[in-house]
Amino acid sequence: MSRVRPPKLFASFFKWYCRSALRETILGDLEEQFEDDLELYGKHKARRRFAWTVIRFFRPGIIKTFNKTQNSKASGMIKNDFKTTLRIIKKEKLYTGINVLGLTSGFSIALLILSYVYFEFSYEDYNPKANRMARITIDYLDGETLIDQDCESYHLLGPMMKEEFPEVEDYVRAYGMDDAVLRINEESFRANRVYAVDKNFFELFNYPLLKGNTQTALTKPLEMVLTESAAMKYFGTTDILEKTAWVSVVGGEMKVVGVIKDSPANTHLKFDLLFSYSTMQNTLDQRNSPWDSNDTYTYALLKQESQMTQFEESLDRLSTRLLEDETIKNERIIAQNIKDIHLHSHKSFEAEPNGSATIVFFLLGVALLVIVIAIVNYINLATAKSFDRAKEVGIRKVIGSSKAQLRSRFYIESVTINLISAGLALTVILLVQDTFKHIGGLPESFNPIYYPIFWIVFVSLILFSTFFAGSFPAFILSSFKPISVLKGKFSHSSKGTIMRKALVVFQFAIAIFLLVQTIASSEQLEYMQEKDLGLNAEQVVVVSAPATENEIKKFESFRNELLSSNSFKAVAFSNTVPGLPTSTMGSTTGVKLVSGDDHNFNFYFYFMNRYFIPTMEFNLLAGENFKKNMAGRPVIVNEAAMKLWGIHDPADAIDKKLHFWNSDKTIIGVIENFHQTGVKTDHIPTIFMYSTGFGSYISVRVTPDNINQKLIELEEKYKSIFQSPFEFFFLDQKFDSHFRSERQFQTIFSILSSFALIITCLGLFGLASYTITKRKKEIGIRKVLGASVNQIITLLSKDFLLLIAMAGIISLPITYLIVRKWLETYAYRIDISPWLFVIPAGFVLAVAFLTIFFRTFHVSHANPVIALKDD
Amino acid sequence: MGRTNFLGEFEELILTMVLILDDNAYGNTVVKAIKEHQNREVNLSSVHITLYRLEEKGFLKSYMAGATQKRGGRKKRYFKATNSGVALLREMKTSRTNLWKLTPQLNFGA
Repeated sequence: MSRVRPPKLFASFFKWYCRSALRETILGDLEEQFEDDLELYGKHKARRRFAWTVIRFFRPGIIKTFNKTQNSKASGMIKNDFKTTLRIIKKEKLYTGINVLGLTSGFSIALLILSYVYFEFSYEDYNPKANRMARITIDYLDGETLIDQDCESYHLLGPMMKEEFPEVEDYVRAYGMDDAVLRINEESFRANRVYAVDKNFFELFNYPLLKGNTQTALTKPLEMVLTESAAMKYFGTTDILEKTAWVSVVGGEMKVVGVIKDSPANTHLKFDLLFSYSTMQNTLDQRNSPWDSNDTYTYALLKQESQMTQFEESLDRLSTRLLEDETIKNERIIAQNIKDIHLHSHKSFEAEPNGSATIVFFLLGVALLVIVIAIVNYINLATAKSFDRAKEVGIRKVIGSSKAQLRSRFYIESVTINLISAGLALTVILLVQDTFKHIGGLPESFNPIYYPIFWIVFVSLILFSTFFAGSFPAFILSSFKPISVLKGKFSHSSKGTIMRKALVVFQFAIAIFLLVQTIASSEQLEYMQEKDLGLNAEQVVVVSAPATENEIKKFESFRNELLSSNSFKAVAFSNTVPGLPTSTMGSTTGVKLVSGDDHNFNFYFYFMNRYFIPTMEFNLLAGENFKKNMAGRPVIVNEAAMKLWGIHDPADAIDKKLHFWNSDKTIIGVIENFHQTGVKTDHIPTIFMYSTGFGSYISVRVTPDNINQKLIELEEKYKSIFQSPFEFFFLDQKFDSHFRSERQFQTIFSILSSFALIITCLGLFGLASYTITKRKKEIGIRKVLGASVNQIITLLSKDFLLLIAMAGIISLPITYLIVRKWLETYAYRIDISPWLFVIPAGFVLAVAFLTIFFRTFHVSHANPVIALKDD
Repeated sequence: MGRTNFLGEFEELILTMVLILDDNAYGNTVVKAIKEHQNREVNLSSVHITLYRLEEKGFLKSYMAGATQKRGGRKKRYFKATNSGVALLREMKTSRTNLWKLTPQLNFGA
């Protein structure tokens, strides 16, 4: 039987770190103790104790001094390697500069993009329950085809789920109100992000109350909780427990029962004001049927993360049951994890416009490409210079350097360059991060360097880059045969040249792709911004309508007051305006065309008075606008709605009857399609209803010129008639805001591709410089023999330009496919023209030629004598 | 009392153990003795570090001897208290006894 020995790993670890003077006796003691332990506690515990003691011995006083006494040879070599590295850096300023510049840009870009990506993925991370939380949403179907997805659902679903589904631990609802006016001490404020929520909102979304009692807050009607900044804005202090405010949506006083922190930037449901759910119960009870309107966000907390499938099945059964007893029609109730909302959910009535996973991944990919391009530069330049280094390697080998030592020498070069670049990159990041946050739409408070993940990525990037940039030169150079090198027989290996060429092709292929994509996205953006919206959004100021019914009654006098001035051309009143998200519109299911087939469709709604269509300058295709005191129940529809019923000629739609909300309505007009949320999305089927008392916005078309003066006039007139606060926006700016994410993407992408191109050209410049220096003699002889400047420039540029042409040939087909795929995500998109590809490719070729030309021009004009004289 | 003349609780314990163990004081025996007399588990590494520190301060001296098969033929480092080590321990004991005498309940009992 073999004796049980102490764990080898720890024993050798100990031998490695321990001072030689102490080693023998301590090791003896360790072993003696191990033997004792073996008898006392058995094999396993003895080994554990041995390991633990070894670790405990790892402390000053026991550990040897590494750099002085031991291994003096190796550390001396490393020192020497650093010295030569520094010498090379000093000597080869151009190459070092190119490498450092490339890697610095690569690192900073990659890290900034990664922090952007990290933020986008961090949604709901602050909530430990997030993995178990699901939002209930509704799919609208037309037979089997999906028409629309709505992220709001029915009020009754929450309680039903908790009662019926064993996997549901709890539910919470958030009923959004468009906005609410608060009156505090005679002063009015408009709050935008207002929700009535169930009392467990704080628990499920992990928002501890700063002030107030978590157990009792929001349990009774007419209670509200404010965020810190809302409290500061409305009350001027956060010390507001038990204070009251008059609130427009309830038409009475409400009591403050709590203050919580502002909702984090990385949640899909941001809010300023929370009411108790019971506050809105009256409003909800007034409805004919609870299944008429789905207008509340419902979240379910599952007992376990893994029960999502089970939960979905339960919802499916519930849908089927509700469909069978005709509680709902043409709908399916589904669920999504709340962590998927920000990047993957693009349904109607989202609480805020969500991000896009595609864009995030796209940017991530491009950032990595930029890094790769920078690493390729390093590899290319280092291997190209191998000829210069061959003699050094030869001599080192003859003196007795091993391959491993040579490799470590080249790795040290790579480490040094990478560390310098990383340090610079860190500085760059700190300098530009505020600008970047602004461009990327990140919150001011987001500071990537406070997150450990930033440093993990930072260190891994350095390691990755050091390893890849160092490996090629290390392995290629260390494999030279010293004798042939020193004899002078060494020539460029064809293998190295081919690899270099392939890498150049690869770099330029990427650069061309990025450029094409940049141009395509900027053209698409421009196209969308200029496309006809179906209305005239310029010179329209939209003012928030007053909050109380009494004030709304004064609309006509306000309108007359405005029109008496020649600053204002038209004034209208509506529940929403184009340019605002679809969530501000009404929507309903169960609209039927009388005399049509039995199909139900979903429609969006406008409520407006008779001035709205002329004010917005919608194009009426057939029929007429609303008139005062019209008989029956007139509605106007848009083309998209008409299409759903299979009517093709607008004139045919006039006088057709619609049935919904328990009565028949008559179509009196058809208007041309318009874009509710900008050109990104398709036209949505919309029904316009006539209403004089139901609205949130007053749209005012002003005459051009001197807008500021007119705004002041508008505010004065508003304040002379209404008590509610004056708030306004420009309609065209609202439309423009829909392109925010496009513009962000566009800006980030342009920056990325410019850097990619610059780094690539830097590499090309270095490579060309090197090649030309090597061919100086050849060029001298050619010139002596009568070659012209042009011939020499052609000769020198030809090789490189061929490579770039090849890059174009490889890159363009792939680019075409990607760009086409990307454009398909837009409802209205530019045509792909050949110029989209020819121009960037030509541009890259021209830039590359210019890059090389810097060098070739100089060399081809040089006096051949100078090149041929030495030797 | 200078810094070098000061002993921490653990140092004092180890020094005392070396005195107790007389000619047989080295790492393992000290660990065992502490276990035996004080019923206290200490790690071998702590004992070693303290022994070296005491040697550095001049309270202990050491010599190598006594390889056994159990230790893989390795020598032991035996420790012996120096005169100044013994003197210091004695001094500490006296001063403590004096202090103890000043505490009230003892006065009462006397």
